[in-house]
Amino acid sequence: MTAYLLRRVLQSFLVIFISAVATYVMLSFAPGGPMAGLRQIQQTGRFQITEEDIARIRASFELDLTLPVRFSRWLIGVPRGPLVIGGKEYFGDMVVGCRKPIEVEVMNSRGVNVVKVTGCKETVYLKDIVGRRTSRGILLGDFGLSWRLLRDRPVSDLIISRLPKTLQLIGLSTFFSLLFGIPLGIYSAVKQYSRFDYTFTTLAFMGSAMPSFFFGLLFILLFSILPKNAGWMYIPAGLSESVRGYTIPLIGQVVAGSLKDRIMHLILPVAVLTILQIAGWSRFIRASLLDVLRQDYVRTARAKGLSQRVVILKHALRNALIPFVTIVVFTIPGLFAGALITESIFAWPGMGRLYILALGDYDYPVAMAIFFILAVLTVMATLIRDIVYTMVDPRIRLT
Amino acid sequence: MTATAQIDKLQPEAITIEERSPFQVVMRRFVRHRLAMISMGVMLVVFLITILAPYIAPYGVTELNVNDYFVPFGTVDQETGRTHYLGTDNIGRDIFSRLVYAGRISLTVAIFSVIISEIVGIFVGAISGFYGGWVDSVLMRFVEFMLSIPTLPLLLIISSMLIRNENLIPIPEPVLAFVGKIMLINPRDARNAVIIIIVLAGFGWLSAAQLMRGTVLSLRDQTFVEAARSLGASNIWIILKHMIPNAMAPIIVDASLGLAGFIVAEAALAFLGFGIQDPVPTWGNMLAATQTYMFDKPWLPLIPGIPIFICSLAFNYIGDGLRDALDPRLKL
Repeated sequence: MTAYLLRRVLQSFLVIFISAVATYVMLSFAPGGPMAGLRQIQQTGRFQITEEDIARIRASFELDLTLPVRFSRWLIGVPRGPLVIGGKEYFGDMVVGCRKPIEVEVMNSRGVNVVKVTGCKETVYLKDIVGRRTSRGILLGDFGLSWRLLRDRPVSDLIISRLPKTLQLIGLSTFFSLLFGIPLGIYSAVKQYSRFDYTFTTLAFMGSAMPSFFFGLLFILLFSILPKNAGWMYIPAGLSESVRGYTIPLIGQVVAGSLKDRIMHLILPVAVLTILQIAGWSRFIRASLLDVLRQDYVRTARAKGLSQRVVILKHALRNALIPFVTIVVFTIPGLFAGALITESIFAWPGMGRLYILALGDYDYPVAMAIFFILAVLTVMATLIRDIVYTMVDPRIRLT
Repeated sequence: MTATAQIDKLQPEAITIEERSPFQVVMRRFVRHRLAMISMGVMLVVFLITILAPYIAPYGVTELNVNDYFVPFGTVDQETGRTHYLGTDNIGRDIFSRLVYAGRISLTVAIFSVIISEIVGIFVGAISGFYGGWVDSVLMRFVEFMLSIPTLPLLLIISSMLIRNENLIPIPEPVLAFVGKIMLINPRDARNAVIIIIVLAGFGWLSAAQLMRGTVLSLRDQTFVEAARSLGASNIWIILKHMIPNAMAPIIVDASLGLAGFIVAEAALAFLGFGIQDPVPTWGNMLAATQTYMFDKPWLPLIPGIPIFICSLAFNYIGDGLRDALDPRLKL
């Protein structure tokens, strides 16, 4: 068990590391970024930007360093300068980047002008980057500075301001889906082939085929726009609280930012996430309970004369919930990603929406930080799932 | 009276069940799945409409009708006599025509993604399961790695990078021309669609590879494989002629469920702004475009949304029906 755990933890670190490298490399190839606009300004008259300015701006975004050096500084915060051992500096003359690249515009095979770097006018040595501002490394919890969304402010500020909103959404929807999903699944399994079971399985099947973005839009239409246009009671959609007060028929005056206002804004996104989750989860519980109900020990329990209630809740359900526990654990990081779409439909100011904004706005440090957090969460959940699996079901052995 | 004579007499009566080929058995079981049959019918109609798109759509994809913005359903154009069955959008393009062409593009993307991902999955899975050893562990560790990172955020990163930097992966011109011809768009726009196909297929092959590997592992030591080998069959021959046909059942089910998944995934990417971009219509980006106007015109999101839902549901039902028909014990 210990050996297995140790190996799994090491594997998890490897997965996290590889995914961090992969995304970093990919995003460094992505165009845009802080330099994209500058080249255009440079060409248009009044504000002449000198070569020196560009070099300075490049340096402030660390774009003058080579990819491995930049990545290492982003991941663990080194190198910060030459290696000092016993008062002596080593590797001070190592080339770590290029301050002023020689750029030539070339026409490629399809006749599009592309800027190509052909050489370097001024190289950056390791001794030059001493004292330069750097993050302490993403592995140590410092995500660096934002490029655009909150320029030059720490990424962690942005994420911390958005995290509670996402947790609110995910926590509530998980709670409600467990609250309604488990009983629905049980009832449907116990009354197999009843009218309720047919209706329920059909609806759940449709729910799992329903794309969340369309479902969200439908909810906005049905519960917000149409009733509002008709002058009935409606539920506000969009943002997590409104900017100014408003009046809803039957509910009355709502003050902007009040508890009532915030609850009203939570209803729709939580409902959408909850219903889609119930569709998946309760179908799973139904299948797994049906599986267990066919087992011999359930027949034995019935033969002993135990009541239906005891048989189902004490004997069958416990075993049926084993695979379900792991599914629930595993969906939690998936929920962050799943909330991504729901958040962007409802303009909910959470992490998912921040991620989309960051990707769309070329704020790559923010995007990478969020992706990194998601990757860590997913890997951890996989680990926890496997451990929980052995704890709730002693029949499973890990090797 | 001898025993043999009796049996001879009985034989004609004993054979009462008409012999059926495995294909007939599967077909009979599939036909009995009512919802799957209805879904097949619906999808046939959708496919027919999209194949006949140029004959059904009264307008072109990018044809603008100046000053005819948001005209109501069924408005007839005074000059040309053509009808806007579903009205026009914010810059005067005919919604019905765009919907029909979008269906063609969305379905093509899904079908190509499924074909590529199943083929890649079949080969990776077959090689992994058949050869075992370090090949197997390298390939399967890679699959597990891919499955252990959050898919949607990674899809978004990859497609945002590839779409903004279209020259990053070279796509041969004939491929672009071919895809463009099928989707009825010009090859330059097809690049975007090909990138989305690559991105989707890049994630889609994982489940197929796992399924294929499982089947190959269970077949590898069976007697018919041994028999084939003793007759001098090469490894490639055994994989192609014996393993792959035997593993088709789960693969076919995976493919039909995959179609549903890819339709939704493509639409989700386009909806979030990281998929196929606007002048080329897809159901996803049409849906995204309606968001701005849905407060005044609440019916607009339904027009591209319902086809996405119907196709997703239909392919799910077909997959369900196929699973029941091919192998009722199969769990996917």
